[in-house]
Amino acid sequence: MTSFFENLLSTFPAFMEAAWMTLRLTGVSLVLALVIGLIFALMKVTGVRWLGVIYNGYVGIIRGTPLIVQIMWLYFGITHIVVLSAFWAGTIALAIHSGAYIAEIFRGCIQSVDKGQMEAAESLGMKRALAMRRIILPQALKRAIPPLGNQFIIGLKDSSLVAFIGITEIFSLSMDNAAVTFKQLEFYTIAGLYYLAMVAIVTFVLSRVENRMDTAK
Amino acid sequence: MIKVEQLHKYFGDLHVLKGVDLEVAPQEVVVMIGASGSGKSTLLRCLNFLEMKNEGRILIDGKEVDPATTPLNKVREHVGMVFQHFNLFPHMTVLENVIEAPVHVKKIPRAEAIERGRELLEKVGLGDKGDVYPEKLSGGQKQRVAIARALAMEPSVMLFDEPTSALDPELVGEVLEVMKSLAADGMTMVVVTHEMGFAREVADRVVFLDNGQIAEQGDPETFFSNPQHPKAQQFLSRVL
Repeated sequence: MTSFFENLLSTFPAFMEAAWMTLRLTGVSLVLALVIGLIFALMKVTGVRWLGVIYNGYVGIIRGTPLIVQIMWLYFGITHIVVLSAFWAGTIALAIHSGAYIAEIFRGCIQSVDKGQMEAAESLGMKRALAMRRIILPQALKRAIPPLGNQFIIGLKDSSLVAFIGITEIFSLSMDNAAVTFKQLEFYTIAGLYYLAMVAIVTFVLSRVENRMDTAK
Repeated sequence: MIKVEQLHKYFGDLHVLKGVDLEVAPQEVVVMIGASGSGKSTLLRCLNFLEMKNEGRILIDGKEVDPATTPLNKVREHVGMVFQHFNLFPHMTVLENVIEAPVHVKKIPRAEAIERGRELLEKVGLGDKGDVYPEKLSGGQKQRVAIARALAMEPSVMLFDEPTSALDPELVGEVLEVMKSLAADGMTMVVVTHEMGFAREVADRVVFLDNGQIAEQGDPETFFSNPQHPKAQQFLSRVL
């Protein structure tokens, strides 16, 4: 047990750096995923047929294949076209992956807004785009916050998979330490603790946001 | 003001409106009644193109509106609509509901829209409710806000789609009072309702729909005391 705490302490600075990488991967990929998700969801709800086909293809492929395959495909595939750093290959893969799930969240929330809202907006002379922006989206986005929070937490943990394209983040650092010291159980436990701490922080922030949305309407 | 010629509407195989002709004169109050499924709400919704006609012509202010070539949002600016289920915007205060379209559609300066909005809320008896959210209001209050919201666009005609059907009985009166005062101010109105008392008192003309067609129409006194069409007689004997 003493060796566990010694290992925890001695690797703390390195893990802090790795945690910062995990945070950047997660943060940047989720911001991109929100943009991707919103664009695709809006494409789907326009009712334009070919946009819906694109949406179904995107969501179908991403949900139908494992994230690790998508990461590998992007990392080794994209180098044939452009040279991308491991960080950006990983970030973009994570963004495209989360984007599909977030698109589904947005689509569901937009479609859950009572259709009388759009009718009322249109009856007041609003164009559909204006009604979407002013009336539908504010209501839909508020409903999207709890499932989005869930997706953010999944995204944070999924970022561990970019360890396999050589990015030094929490999980790959644990693998390296485990391999060198042969203390696999200890270092994977340490990895778990770091993820647990980060998820706890994200959960806390999300619950604050939800409370604020409740009181602010 | 509004003219409808040989309007047909289908929902799939269901022939809902079967060649309706209707004309509404300026300042006229037309009340449409009929059994559920007779097509009265569909007809009303066709008038501001929330439902698209399949055949026939609709003229607003003397101009034919062809949904393929006319920007419908421009037409709807002149045609106010009040819904059975209010459809207030829940994420906005009462006053924000009222000024939303004037500010973002008509581009009226916000301060001016607020001033006008407060006047309208005063008019529907809710001058003190501007800063609350719709969820805090009773059904009758919500419907009065919805009326103020539609009036804020200064429409030339107001459509009411069963405006009191979702209300508790004791709240019906306050909404009908607002509608009466609107009629007295000379607003052109087309009202779908089951409130026969209102029809009798306020309508200039009662239109009775049966099975997608206008079976009978006339001034309320004659219609209610001496209906001609057997379906109208049957309907009135059930509701009066």
